[in-house]
Amino acid sequence: MVDASQHNLVPEHTIVEEEELEEVLDEYNIDRTDLPKIKRRDPPLRELDVEVGDVIRIERDSRTADRAVVYRLVIE
Amino acid sequence: MAANDIQVVVEGSDLPRRLKDKLYETLDAKGIDDVETATDVKEAVEERYLDTRVDPLDPVGTVSAQSIGEPGTQMTMNTFHYAGVAEIDVTQGLPRLIELVDARKTPDTPMMTVHVDPEFVQERLDAENDDGYTERDVAHEIVWQIEATRILALGDVSTNVADMLVRIDLNEETLDERWPTVGTTAEVTAEIAETIESKLDVSTVEPDDATIEFGPEEPSYRGLLQLVEELREIVFKGIDDVSRVVIRKEQTEDPDTDDEEFVLYTEGSAFGKVLDIDGVDASRTTCNNIHEIYRQLGVEAARETIINETMNTLEEQGLGDVNIRHLMLVADMMTNPGTIESIGRHGISGNKDSVLARAAFEVTVNHLLDAAIHGEVDDLDGVTENVIVGKPIKLGTGDVTLRMGSRPDTESESAD
Repeated sequence: MVDASQHNLVPEHTIVEEEELEEVLDEYNIDRTDLPKIKRRDPPLRELDVEVGDVIRIERDSRTADRAVVYRLVIE
Repeated sequence: MAANDIQVVVEGSDLPRRLKDKLYETLDAKGIDDVETATDVKEAVEERYLDTRVDPLDPVGTVSAQSIGEPGTQMTMNTFHYAGVAEIDVTQGLPRLIELVDARKTPDTPMMTVHVDPEFVQERLDAENDDGYTERDVAHEIVWQIEATRILALGDVSTNVADMLVRIDLNEETLDERWPTVGTTAEVTAEIAETIESKLDVSTVEPDDATIEFGPEEPSYRGLLQLVEELREIVFKGIDDVSRVVIRKEQTEDPDTDDEEFVLYTEGSAFGKVLDIDGVDASRTTCNNIHEIYRQLGVEAARETIINETMNTLEEQGLGDVNIRHLMLVADMMTNPGTIESIGRHGISGNKDSVLARAAFEVTVNHLLDAAIHGEVDDLDGVTENVIVGKPIKLGTGDVTLRMGSRPDTESESAD
């Protein structure tokens, strides 16, 4: 099986700490269920040991900005 | 000294990195080095930038739909022709765009762009230790591991009705070419014979190095023809789904050098299998099937591919001035649930919470009927429902409450 996280199309995925998450949710005034989702079995998460309910921080190389940080909630 | 001051001015602005870099570039090109002019330019750019940002409550989705839709009307309905790269037939134009937003399970013309791992090339060249063995030969090794090799490509198949035998005369040159790492023709022939034995459940004989003969267990004409039919379907080497591979020498992505490398374009795709092949660069190889990308690399890569593919499709049609942000929004919506969802009745539009919004889109009666049967409640949160019932929508000025007039205690102060 190839390591998906090594592919150019795959941005960096990391698990978000609770504290940081609170800040983000406060800033946008949203619940964690409002975040976009990501499946627990998504290939880049294989190495990460994630659980359903965790939030993943994704750092994209943006086309319009320098870097774009987005969050996805782990489901199922 | 002046350069430093300009840097202070530019870095102190609210502009994103890209615009800052562009600003440096322009200032440099115009030869502006006094701080005052630079500040003026910076302020003008900043004002334009803040001006063009999306306001709160702007209907970005509607703007995107129109911005993609209008140029879409100019797209040719049927464009099936050979695309820029390597005479491989690729669906383009409107059919391709529809296929992408519909998130079809397989595209009409699946293809992959396979990059060769430079380290592997070097390794193989060192191992062969032969002046005649070039980079191209290494690339061909990989080609033959990808392209499906069937019997008709390898030699002639004839039937001998008198002896009830199928006879395969293999072409030695082809064998050499397609099994570059195997020593002798006899070995390759043996390998092919073995494959035939296991797939067709017959016993084979090899009268000489490049000939294989076999027949049905019970002599029967139908059995013989049946064997030939089945023989044609066997894939001896490569991947079933890939019918053709085209090899091209291209500039590497590094713009600073003139280095060239081999890139393989395939007709048909099997992304997972290709990534596992030794010598394939698993960090740059891509394919045009968003579902295959999703399975192998995840949602984020799928999102990226949707943007790339839609943008390329538009650019190919001369519609490259569609802002990438619109396509990014589409891709964001399609990958929002963690899987790929199509736009339209079976996807995003069909999963809306509001009955009225769904009914307003397509198959109106079915939605209303189902909603009635299940006793659905419409909360009238969205735009469409509120237009239908004639209430102000929650967008733009519709979602802010302004009160005219002034409070008594500030009355005296408000001179303007």
